[in-house]
Amino acid sequence: MANLKDIQRQIGSVSNTQKTTRAMKLVSTAKLRRAEELAKRSRLYAVKMNQVIAEIAGRIKCNKVGGIDNRCFIDIENPKMVDIVFVTADKGLCGGFNIQTIKAVNKLLKEYKEKNVKVRLRGIGKKGIEFFKYNEVELFDFVSDLSSKPDKVRSDDFIQTSIEDYKDGKIDGLHVVYNGYKNMITQELHVNKVLPVDTEQFDCNEEQKSILEVEAQDEEHMLDSLVSKYVGYNMYYALIDSVAAEHSARMQAMDTATNNASDMVKSLNVKFNKARQAAITTELIEIISGVESMK
Amino acid sequence: MDKLKLEILTPNGEIFNGEVVSVVLPGEEGEFGVLAHHASLSTLLEAGVIDIEKEDKTVESILINWGVVQVDEEKVIVLVEGAVAIRGDNESAIATALEDAKKLLSDIADSNPAIASVSAKIESAAQKLF
Repeated sequence: MANLKDIQRQIGSVSNTQKTTRAMKLVSTAKLRRAEELAKRSRLYAVKMNQVIAEIAGRIKCNKVGGIDNRCFIDIENPKMVDIVFVTADKGLCGGFNIQTIKAVNKLLKEYKEKNVKVRLRGIGKKGIEFFKYNEVELFDFVSDLSSKPDKVRSDDFIQTSIEDYKDGKIDGLHVVYNGYKNMITQELHVNKVLPVDTEQFDCNEEQKSILEVEAQDEEHMLDSLVSKYVGYNMYYALIDSVAAEHSARMQAMDTATNNASDMVKSLNVKFNKARQAAITTELIEIISGVESMK
Repeated sequence: MDKLKLEILTPNGEIFNGEVVSVVLPGEEGEFGVLAHHASLSTLLEAGVIDIEKEDKTVESILINWGVVQVDEEKVIVLVEGAVAIRGDNESAIATALEDAKKLLSDIADSNPAIASVSAKIESAAQKLF
């Protein structure tokens, strides 16, 4: 039978852990509210931006705009090098949040390896960076404190390298992998092919309502600057969506941990009571048998 | 008079969504006006003021710093980076909006000769409101 003191100590330590997890849950709930609000407000813009770009891409694909030969809108056959940008959290203790993203990145890496395509891995978020470093996967570059504090200027700076390299022909694709916010209890993994703009959903046979007109002299300039904004905003949106998802994942993980701790305290209490009862019974038997033997 | 649907979106949310009679946009190649049934067009916008003429003939001005517009027959979608609507129910609200607008203007990094004329336009838009 376990020592009474030992059980008591265990109960104490478990309820202390419970206090910590409960506090973390409350903190995450508060942070989630703010992050969620931000993500919600930006979502509409992100969606419309993607729509506008997709429409332009679709029209370019269907040859409705003559003579536009912008790299960003054309599917590149036999890519040689692609960029994968992943976003994970800077901190752990949020359930499967980070590992889901890492798994998706690994899957993508494997796919490209089979196709003999070189991959430049660019990381945002400490947890993912640590994982790939530990597993000796080469990272092209990384920033480790951007994912907890999304910042438009810094995210633009970061993604600019990929945009420039894409335009210069150094890379032939850009993927952004992150875990996004769906609702309070679920996160949704996004593996977005940002460049070249995805035109698969466009069916050229479908009657287009109208053709696109772009101011003649500056169509290249317009598309270039539009694509930069589009990629930049996609990156930023990935960051804020990821923060919201991180907090919701942590909130959930900590809620489960708190519940587990209270279950554990309950069963330890039962154990403690049993042990105490056993000790009392043994003592009683000893006294009674002592009295008996004196007769 | 036919109306067109206008949506103006910023990263921080929707700033305008409704039916309007006409809208004047500060395109990179110059200002242009859009009425209902305009031909499809996509172009960039530079720092400037969007003038919206609403059904009740009132004009609303919105200052933007960068944007892209997609026009098709029945609707106009404007995506902008930063925007301030110059409107308000009372003088103090209008004054705050004006302050915001001036702040946005000074935030536009590259000194652009167009900015001076934009400032003048904001002032005149404000004059109409007071």
